[in-house]
Amino acid sequence: MALLEIENLSVNYGGIRALQSVSLSVERGEIVTLIGANGAGKSTTLRAISRIVNARQGRIILDGKDVSRLAPHEIVKLGVAHCPEGRRVLARQSVYDNLMLGAYVRRDAAGVKADIELQFKRFPRLEERRNQLAGTLSGGEQQMLAIARALMSRPRLLLLDEPSLGLAPLIVREIFRIIGELHNEGVTILLVEQNASLALQHANRGYVLEAGELTIRGNAADLLKDERVRQAYLG
Amino acid sequence: MKLVDQSSQQYRRLWWFASRGFAAVLLVLLVTSILTTPGGLQNLFNGLAIGGVYAIFALGYTLIFSILRIINFAHGAVFTLGAYFTYFLTGSAVGFNGLLANQQLPFGLPFPIAMIGGGILAGLCGILIERVAFRPLRNKGADPLLTLVSSLGVAVAIVNVIQLLVGAEIYSYPRNPFGELPAALNLGTFGGLSQRPVIIRTIQVIIFAVSMVIVVLLTYFINATKTGKALRAVAEDATTSSLLGIDTNRLILITFFLSGLIGGIAGTLVGLSVNVSGPYFGINFGLKGLAVIVLGGLGDIPGAVVGGLVIGVAEAFVPSAQVAYKDAIAFAVLFLVLLLRPQGLLGRAVVQKV
Ligand SMILES: Nc1ncnc2c1ncn2[C@@H]1O[C@H](COP(=O)(O)OP(=O)(O)OP(=O)(O)O)[C@@H](O)[C@H]1O
Ligand SMILES: [Mg+2]
Repeated sequence: MALLEIENLSVNYGGIRALQSVSLSVERGEIVTLIGANGAGKSTTLRAISRIVNARQGRIILDGKDVSRLAPHEIVKLGVAHCPEGRRVLARQSVYDNLMLGAYVRRDAAGVKADIELQFKRFPRLEERRNQLAGTLSGGEQQMLAIARALMSRPRLLLLDEPSLGLAPLIVREIFRIIGELHNEGVTILLVEQNASLALQHANRGYVLEAGELTIRGNAADLLKDERVRQAYLG
Repeated sequence: MKLVDQSSQQYRRLWWFASRGFAAVLLVLLVTSILTTPGGLQNLFNGLAIGGVYAIFALGYTLIFSILRIINFAHGAVFTLGAYFTYFLTGSAVGFNGLLANQQLPFGLPFPIAMIGGGILAGLCGILIERVAFRPLRNKGADPLLTLVSSLGVAVAIVNVIQLLVGAEIYSYPRNPFGELPAALNLGTFGGLSQRPVIIRTIQVIIFAVSMVIVVLLTYFINATKTGKALRAVAEDATTSSLLGIDTNRLILITFFLSGLIGGIAGTLVGLSVNVSGPYFGINFGLKGLAVIVLGGLGDIPGAVVGGLVIGVAEAFVPSAQVAYKDAIAFAVLFLVLLLRPQGLLGRAVVQKV
């Protein structure tokens, strides 16, 4: 059974149709990437999984359980962490407190402390700035904080929305190195990216979203060679 | 990117100097008037005592505003409720009017416990108000203006229910609520600084102390506990908070409880000082509380505290012959400050990071 199964998901914003009957699945331990142009509905898919937008129809099944009617915080409790588009760090709280809040659903205080140190090992730049307000971090540092914060809940499934957005190439490479590291540690990842070539290089499988509908799907290696994908997204 | 051109920057610098200069002049005038008017120090202490209550009362607005960006117009009514709850918890009887005429509880709690109990009951009323007047509208995505109206409706309903149940008469708390304490402290003349001896009522000291204890506890809660940090997270970005596993509705309930708790205790403190004057007890206070938070800069604890103390002290300096204008003072001060600092005394100009 897949860890995440989405069946016929449709989402509207008011009258605007953002997703139309999207079905996809993510197996345990996989990196699956969702690529597509601006406004294709990538973020909307992740938001529907986290339940911060309501689906008009369709089901979201996590580990065999229908979660399509739960509240957002209940989804997190079930082991899904969503690192949102645009980082959304809590600007008025310290780096350390952002990480603490990432572990809000956990009750093991000692384990949380240990995990914070673990994230500091992974992101040394965050450790140097542990008491700094998150709003004063650079864009790249904020992205690292957002990823570290998402990991603090010890997720089974990590939803990453455009982690490379607006970052310098060097930082992008660093972020993708860490995504690979997480993959090796066994974290399951659903990765939304505009940088299709980087995403497909790191993923096992990929889906292409066009104007709210899934059009192409397949192994990442095959998609990298696919003529339609090359023309539209790999340029 | 630089969006501000040279001339407007110069203008701003001028404005900065003008407003700081004006503030300094006001401060000097205030200090000299405290030291030279007969009873100046006395006024200062009187003002601080009532200002402390203004501060904690205003914190009730601040808490809810910082999370929902809505003013809870029922807060004044919760303040009134707290004062009445405390009255009944001390075991005192209802007066001659209302459906509950002459009723009383079969027990009476010592005053400090009754005050905390009254605050807790007021906090529960706060929770009820959130469930009845705020959440249903929020879930429907209603305009904040509508929520404002519905909280105003709750305020009117509470006032009417109080009148229906216990009438409109004045209620006084039992004498010597804190045991046999001297009624007042004589602080002397401060080595001649004050022309007359400064006398502070014991009640004033207690009111101020309780207020400041509440400010300290609340500050600690907000800044140093897990729930407090989650509360700040929701205030900053509710959607992201829910992505971290924070149950935003639960935290909103906690906020309403705290707001009601503090408001209820504030009601009791004012009742101690001047009696509980009837169902409309908190309405006037409610308006003044609004002045306090706007003055302090909507939305943080130090702002509400400074705003409360400033208005309290300003009022205390109104000569007794002009006492009828006392309430106008709060709004006059508010008007002056807003003219110079639209963001409030401590408020920072809103900075948007692009
Ligand atoms: N809150 C909203 N209200 C109305 N329309 C919305 C809202 N959020 C998204 N949309 C619309 O839904 C469509 C899908 O948006 P979504 O954010 O999912 O796109 P995306 O694939 O993530 O794009 P990008 O790569 O630019 O982030 C877009 O047409 C967008 O305008
Ligand atoms: Mg997006």
